[in-house]
Formats: sequence, structure tokens, C-alpha cells
Amino acid sequence: MKKWRTGLSLSAIAALAFTVACGNNNSSNAGGSASSPASGSPAASQASAASYKDDLKVAVTAQPPTLDSATTASALALDIAGNIFETLFTLNENYEPTPVLAESYTKSDDGLTYTIKLRQGVKFHNGKELTSDDVVASMNRWLVTSSRAKALLEGANFSALDAGTVELKLAKPNPDVLVLLSAQAAFPAIFPKEVIDSAPAEGITDYIGTGPYKLQEWKQDQYIHLVRNEDYVSPEGEPSGFAGKKEAATPNLYYYFVPDNATRIAGVKSGEYDIADSIPTENFEELSADSGVNLSSYPGGTLTAFLNSSEGAFKNEKLRQAAVAALNADDILLASFANPDLYKLDPGYMNPSQTQWASTAGSEYYNQNDQEKAKQLLQEAGYNGEKIVLLTTPDYSEMYAATLVIQEELKQVGFNVDVLSSDFPTFLKTKDEHSKWNLMVTSNGYQLIPPQLLAVTQSWVGLDDAQVKASVATISSATDSAAAKAEWDKLQGYLYEHAYSAVIGHYNEVVATSKKVEGFSQFVGPVVWNAKVAK
Amino acid sequence: MLAYIVKRILSLIPVLLVITIATFALIHIMPGDPSAAFLGLEATQADVDALNQTMGFDHPIVEQYVNWVGGLFRGDLGDSLFLHQPVGQAIAEHMGPTLSLAIVAQAIALLLAIPLGIIAAYKRDSALDQLLRGFSLIGMAVPGFLLALFLMLFVGVKLKWLPIAGYAPLADGIWQHYRYLILPGISLGTIQAALIMRMTRSSVLEVLHLNFIKTVRSKGLRETKVLLKHALRNAFIPILTVIGQTFGTLVTGAVIIETIFNIPGIGQLVINSIERRDFTVIQGVVLFVTLLYVLINLIVDLLYGAVDPRVRLDRK
Repeated sequence: MKKWRTGLSLSAIAALAFTVACGNNNSSNAGGSASSPASGSPAASQASAASYKDDLKVAVTAQPPTLDSATTASALALDIAGNIFETLFTLNENYEPTPVLAESYTKSDDGLTYTIKLRQGVKFHNGKELTSDDVVASMNRWLVTSSRAKALLEGANFSALDAGTVELKLAKPNPDVLVLLSAQAAFPAIFPKEVIDSAPAEGITDYIGTGPYKLQEWKQDQYIHLVRNEDYVSPEGEPSGFAGKKEAATPNLYYYFVPDNATRIAGVKSGEYDIADSIPTENFEELSADSGVNLSSYPGGTLTAFLNSSEGAFKNEKLRQAAVAALNADDILLASFANPDLYKLDPGYMNPSQTQWASTAGSEYYNQNDQEKAKQLLQEAGYNGEKIVLLTTPDYSEMYAATLVIQEELKQVGFNVDVLSSDFPTFLKTKDEHSKWNLMVTSNGYQLIPPQLLAVTQSWVGLDDAQVKASVATISSATDSAAAKAEWDKLQGYLYEHAYSAVIGHYNEVVATSKKVEGFSQFVGPVVWNAKVAK
Repeated sequence: MLAYIVKRILSLIPVLLVITIATFALIHIMPGDPSAAFLGLEATQADVDALNQTMGFDHPIVEQYVNWVGGLFRGDLGDSLFLHQPVGQAIAEHMGPTLSLAIVAQAIALLLAIPLGIIAAYKRDSALDQLLRGFSLIGMAVPGFLLALFLMLFVGVKLKWLPIAGYAPLADGIWQHYRYLILPGISLGTIQAALIMRMTRSSVLEVLHLNFIKTVRSKGLRETKVLLKHALRNAFIPILTVIGQTFGTLVTGAVIIETIFNIPGIGQLVINSIERRDFTVIQGVVLFVTLLYVLINLIVDLLYGAVDPRVRLDRK
């Protein structure tokens, strides 16, 4: 169950975690920092060999299903795969697309053609030099394997202009195309063309990339061992987000699969592990009291209530509005995340620190906690005591806790509420049987652009609304960002007004590191390629 | 003797048949879909259907069952979708840690239980006996996971004497191998020890009352010899039964302890596979574990004859 814990709650976020980052940083931080040679120089690395450990041990919650990034939304998989594979572009800490394997690009005036020049001298782990053929094969595979790419870049195609240049042709202009290429749940890793050509249907298992680490061994159900890629050619620039210089500071990187929370926590305390991810929020205080452990939290995503408007009682809009009116976000979040430092009240569906999309539209419907209004709406809707089923799974404690609080809150205004709880795979199955439930709460990792949100995706909970679809289309094809933002404000307000879903709040993810770890950073997921452990 | 063994093995066939049908049916009644679990939350239905088709999960259940049983006769347990390896290989890889842990736990259990059990019987109703019986009650009552977390906290985190979790194969060196197994071994072994000790005590006690003990004592034999050679040996059959049962439990995977100490054994394989809906692995492991359990019982039965020559298995 832990495996999907991250898969669900971090999904896009850590999706970013895919390593890859570093870029030639010629776009964003241009003025400031040239590359600092300090730690990368031979002298420095000799010194570090003496005083730093050769192994960095990371305890993660489960074994990832695959490291083939294009086929998975599991955050865990993407965190690990990010050390092995790189993409054309990635995000810096300001969420701006920054070149990694690309060197530069130009965009045609009609916005339909992107010509991307590749960085020279990049080698795969098998020694082969990266050419446009590899990029074209990998990107075109990604366009048809990743469900997001399929939905948002329909009709797009990559082709090679020469050995060092590729061209992306779009069917219709999309202002977010570089964001989509930079960071996404299923990030577009660049593989050698031969690997793509010989890939079996269930995904690539030949993990050859261009990243700072190579896959040495994957011991089933125990660990993944990565070793430093000695021939790695890093992009230049100060590390920023997933971009900038990547040093592969520690020769060996171990990801241990440790499903038990108590074991991960004890392990980082005892020094068995240097980094432990997904620390349950209820252990936050215990660990912050430990002098040997650093805790860092980073924005994780939203806890959102989704109302099933396709079948059952909540087809009735007034009933949905009554349910949303009854919600007290404070109580729900406290039950789910235990510590007020680890969550935030905010009506936005998008990351509040991402200025392009952060929105407070619909805030009059957020955290209403208005029992009178709810009862009034119930009456207007002519509610006859029909059973309302809340779907949840105890495998995600925050979702489960939130559901139980919501059950209480809905009961208090007169709903007849039942909770349907099962293990995660069963939950997944039941979610698609819309006749069986009326409301569910899930923790969802942040998305980078609104059209990626599950709240506007029909297949998620069956939301079928022409206005929502039209707004998504408008945002996807908007020519300037102000217009896109205005449309998104409208859409977020619309989702609240019609009570299709309601954000309950924003949560932080917590990672524990030993105090001996240096150079570790958090972006929207852990970044370990510059991390080292003092002896 | 040989005829007996053959008969016992033949009697396995219906057992295994029932087991295969039961597991197969249970797994397919269980909601959830291996392809959906594999592809993740945001996969489309089309992706899931395509993978189901590739893996043959869309065939009728009876056909899937017949194919699977057909494979068994060729020694093929199928392939795991999630582990990218044959199920037989997965079981073999996970069996090593489980077996090592079982041996350590059983050794700890026997070293504690047998001597203490004999002492308790010998000093019947003394303060020492009461104390030992108290300990054994506590041992049986304390859940293994509690003891495990307690040991992890004190020995691993506070004292830092032993690693709190993980596993090193024998190839990394004997000490490296065993230092990972000591804490889980104690967590598991203590409970088994409590059980075996009680059985040893009551069984030895019973024998100590018999006339032949009086006889050997009256001919002047030393008490240690009376206890070890005569009393223990004659009391050993019920003890052996308990040992067999406990070892069977250990060897078929200690799910909770393996999870807490992150030991990649059979128990963890089962739990992970259920969460992943990795059907072929679940079926394979259940079959394997059944077989193992039955075989251990068979071996215990054969050992009865070795311990007590009066036991003749091949006679009606």
C-alpha cells in the first residue's frame, strides 16, 4: 500500500523529482551565477573522498513498479529514475523550463513549430553519444505512452533536422508546451533509440539514460543501487530546482524499500539510512526533537473532496452544494495532518507558490462551515434521507481521517452517511464504479498547469460538464498567460460554485535527513545528486 | 517406511488441488486488477485493458486456471508482472532470508526453552518455576511486533549495537549476515520459546512421575543424566511436535516481523504481492508454503520414529 502512497499524493510533484534537471541555465538565472567550480574540481573531490562516505542510503516507502518514467505516475519511481534519466528541459526553482539535454530552442511565429538544438558531447551510460535519433524515438514514444501527453499534446510529432537538432510540430498552439516537456508525472526520459525499438509492451526494462547515475543493481523488494556515471557531462549553472549543475557527489546511491513507517524513522535516527521519505505527520514532533535529524517539509499538494456528479444523489447540484457548505476545512486538515505547521488553508487547486496559476476564485465557497446554509440547501433539494456513501481507503491515513471527519460533518446537517473503506487496489476499482459512491477525498500532488488537474479530468470521477471542457480548451490554447489565468480563475470559481469538487487544504510532505547529509535539497521532491554524507 | 512416505506424498495431491482452486478463486474474487495496480492511479482504462490483454488476464478464469496448473506440471509457476522475473525465481530469492531468520529464531527459541523448561519441571512449584512460568506467559502474551519495536528502539536506536532493519546475504560475510538477523530472531524466537518451554515443562513433568524414573534414580544415576537421558528423551515427542509446528510457521514467512525489520523474505513477498495484486506470485507462494508446511509435518512424523523407537509409522 505504501507504494502507491507516494504515487497518489505526490504524483506530479515528485514526478518532477525526476532528476534530470540541470540546464544550461541560460534563460533564467542568467545574470547571476556562473558555475562555481569549487566542489566539482579534482582537488575538492579528493578532499571529499577522505571525509565523506561512499554510500548515500535513502529509505523509501516501497518498491517502484518500474523506472520507465513515461509509463508511470508513481512519484517514487520518478524520484529514483530522475537520477538515471534526463529530459530535454526541466524546471528550475521558479518553475521555469530550463534546458538540460537541449541547448537552446526557437519557436515559430505561429507557435506550432519548436526547433530544439541538442547539447553536444552528451553520452549514454552505454558509451553511445546522444543524437537527434534517440531524442525523436524517445519523445515520440512518450507522446503516445503518457496519458497526459496524449491528452494535452494531441497530434504533436518530433522529427530530426540533423544529428544535433530536432523539431517539434504541434497540431495546435499550446503556450505550456515547454512546461509539459519539463515536468510531468510521466516525464519524457531520453533513451537510446535501440532501447525504444526493442522495448516490450509492458515497458522498458533496459534502463540506459544520460543522467549522473547508472543503474547498477535492482534487488527485487530490497533496494536499487545506483553508481556514479563517471563519464557524466553536467549542464552548467547553479543548482536550482531540478536544473543546474549535477555532481553525483556520492559514488553509490542506495534506495532501500522500507514500507514500515516506524522502521524508516528508527533507521534515520540510528544512522542506518541517511534520508527517509514520507515521514507521517504525526511523527513530526518526535523527530524534530531528535538532535541528529533534520526535517524538511515541502509543499506536497492538495487534499480535495470530489463529488460524484455523474450518478446517484449528488447528481443533484443543490445536494452537492449542501455538502460543500457543511465542510469545516480546519477540522478536517487537523485530523488528517496532525500539525498546523504541515498544512495550509487555501482555496486554490494549484500550488499557491506558483504565481502564474495561484488563484483564490471561489473562496466564498471554501471552508464555509455553515450548517444553517447546508440544512437550507438540503431542504430546497428535497433530500429524502437517501444514503450518501463516502469512498476511502485506510492505506492513505490522511484520506481516511478526512473522510471520517466529513462523515461527521455531513451527519450533523442531516445527511445519512456511510463510509465505504477498502484497501487501495479495491478503492481504485470502486472509484470507477460511479453508482457505488457519492464523495471521496484524495490527496493529490500539484500539477503544473490547470488542464492536468484531476478535478477537470472526466475520467477521474465522471465530471461531464460542457463549460468545464470549454474552459480547459481555452486555457490550453490561450496565446498569452494573462488570458489563460483569467480563464482559470473563472474555471476554479465554476468548480466551486457547482460543487463538483472542493479543495480542503494544502499539505506538506516531510522528509527526514541525518544531520551529516550535506548538499541535499528539496524542490517539489527530494534532489539527491549533489548530496553527500560526512563520515 | 518407504511405503509410508510414498503414501503421505500421494495424499498431498488432493490437498494441493483444493489449495490451488481455493487460492485461485479467492484471488479472482478479490476486487482490484493487477494491471491497474501496476500502471498507477492515473493510467487510462485503455492502458489497463491493453496490459491485461498482453498478460492474458482477460481470458476466462477457468482457462487461466487450466493454463496455470498446466504450467505447474512443467515446473513453471508463471511470471510476475511486477518483479519482471519468474515466480519460481522470486520464491527462491525470498526463501533465503526467511530460512536464515527461521533458523536463528528457532535456535534462540530452543536454547532458551529446552533448558528452562527442564529446570522449571525439575524445580516444580518453586519460586524459580513460578518466575519462569510467568515469563513464558508474558512471552506468549506480548505480540511479536511490540517486542520488535522495543528492541529496535533500545538496541538499534539508543545503543546502536545492531542495525535496526535490512538484510545482508551470507555472501557478505557471516557476521554481517547474522547481525541483521539477531533482533528479528529474538522477536520471533521469544514467542516460540515461551510455547516450547511450556510444552517441555509439562511433558518432562509427566515423565518424571513415571516408575522408570524412580528406577533409574534408585540405581543411583546422577540427576543430570536422569533428566537429560531418560526424562527428556521420553518426553520429547510432544515437544518435537511443537517445534515442528513453530518451525513451520517461521519458515513460511513471518509477515509482521519481516515487514518491521525489512527482511525481504516470503512474508514480505506475500504482503507486497497482495498489495500489488500480483496474482501469479500470490498463487505460487501459497502453493509453495502449503507444500513446505506439509513436508515439515512429514519430517516431524518421521523423526518421531528416530526419537522413540516404539513409534512405527508404517504399521496400522
